[in-house]
Amino acid sequence: MLDKLKADFDGIIELVNKTPAPLQETAFKMILEQWFNANTAPKPVPPPPPPAPLGPGAPAAPGGVPDAVKPFLTANAITTEILEKGFHPTGPGAQLLASSIPGNGKANKLVSLSLLLCVKQALESGSFTCTLKELRELAVHYDCYDSPNFSATLKANKNYYNPRDKGADLELSGPGRRKAGEIIKSIAAGE
Amino acid sequence: MDVAQALEDVVEELVSIQKDVNKLKTASVSGQALRKRVKDTHKNWLPVAGVLEVGNIVDTAQVQEVSDTWTALVKLANSASPKKQYKALLKSIITKTESELLHKFIKSSAIQTIGDTLRKLVQPIADPELLKYLDESIRCAETNCVRASVVLAWCAVAHMVHKKLTSLGIATLNAEFARMKADKGLMFRTFMKDYVFSTDPDVQEAADAHLILLCRFLTYLDDTQYKHLKGALDLRNGCGHPTGYQPDPVKLQAYYVDITQLVLLNPKLA
Repeated sequence: MLDKLKADFDGIIELVNKTPAPLQETAFKMILEQWFNANTAPKPVPPPPPPAPLGPGAPAAPGGVPDAVKPFLTANAITTEILEKGFHPTGPGAQLLASSIPGNGKANKLVSLSLLLCVKQALESGSFTCTLKELRELAVHYDCYDSPNFSATLKANKNYYNPRDKGADLELSGPGRRKAGEIIKSIAAGE
Repeated sequence: MDVAQALEDVVEELVSIQKDVNKLKTASVSGQALRKRVKDTHKNWLPVAGVLEVGNIVDTAQVQEVSDTWTALVKLANSASPKKQYKALLKSIITKTESELLHKFIKSSAIQTIGDTLRKLVQPIADPELLKYLDESIRCAETNCVRASVVLAWCAVAHMVHKKLTSLGIATLNAEFARMKADKGLMFRTFMKDYVFSTDPDVQEAADAHLILLCRFLTYLDDTQYKHLKGALDLRNGCGHPTGYQPDPVKLQAYYVDITQLVLLNPKLA
């Protein structure tokens, strides 16, 4: 394995150098982590029973973060370690781990929750979306549902979402993804 | 009709009317514009009330109560009426619509879809013994018996853990428990119990907390997996004993994700 690492190392460094300087350390760590995942020989385990076919929405096959989410993680310097503090598992079937949602007041918490739910959906399917039904259900669960201001709060933070019709699902915009990244990091930091 | 959205719209408009009524410096509400807004909002309420009345989602008596208060409010709006009466009726409608209708509607709509969500999670499980418990658990969830659902789903977990551990052989199992007791590692040093089993059914008498700790000791689970499974057991214990805790469908879904991933579909426990 060491020989293969030596052979691939220059390529990895080349890739890291393409990322902005402040992110290079994180990028290097992530690429190396992926390299080891891909190249470490699995330990012999007894053969598992024949798997039943997985349907949509079925729980995660172990293995983790969908490819579609990786650029988001790299761009926001979110390592697997950070992500695991916010979601479990970090792939299909992802659940929000936070016992409380970051933010002051119901409105800020609602926005944070919507961004986190979009990331949760991305870990599930690769698309950064969230239905209003799910948002309302979780907002009630996390005690940040303020019905008279629900629509107004989302409207006031519309830069976080792609343009949509009233009642339509939320989809994260660029600023929304950046904000979601900050929230995930603040959860991981225990703030 | 998106009932939640429609109810939100009604509440939003009522709160706005309430603010305007509070701002009035007169003792009565006489302005045509404000009175018209009350009537227009009532028109938006009527179709929502119709949907709520025919469904089993919320208590129809609560819908009727809110409708009756609306009738009184619209009657006030027919002519100039005291502000004090407006304030009382508006407050009543807003509070009841939010707490008794909207919040309950959202929780109930989660219950209505929870069965499908949980069935997708357990779809890959083929063991008929496990499916018996899980099917019963999901049917409990669909009838809003969330605590019963949690407890029954844990039966499937316990069944699988027992099956795996007894498959090691009773002598090995006794030896592993003794080895775990002797281990002074951070996770195991508080484990002090002596277990000596004679037959497979004896294992069912052991505390689930100790059995899953042994699964960690035997490395069927890593530290993080063990931590989450312990959390699931805590939830099960909270639901299986007389406590005031009432988990909601969101919590149940997270619990199902954990137990399926950590145990029911964990190849190390197969």
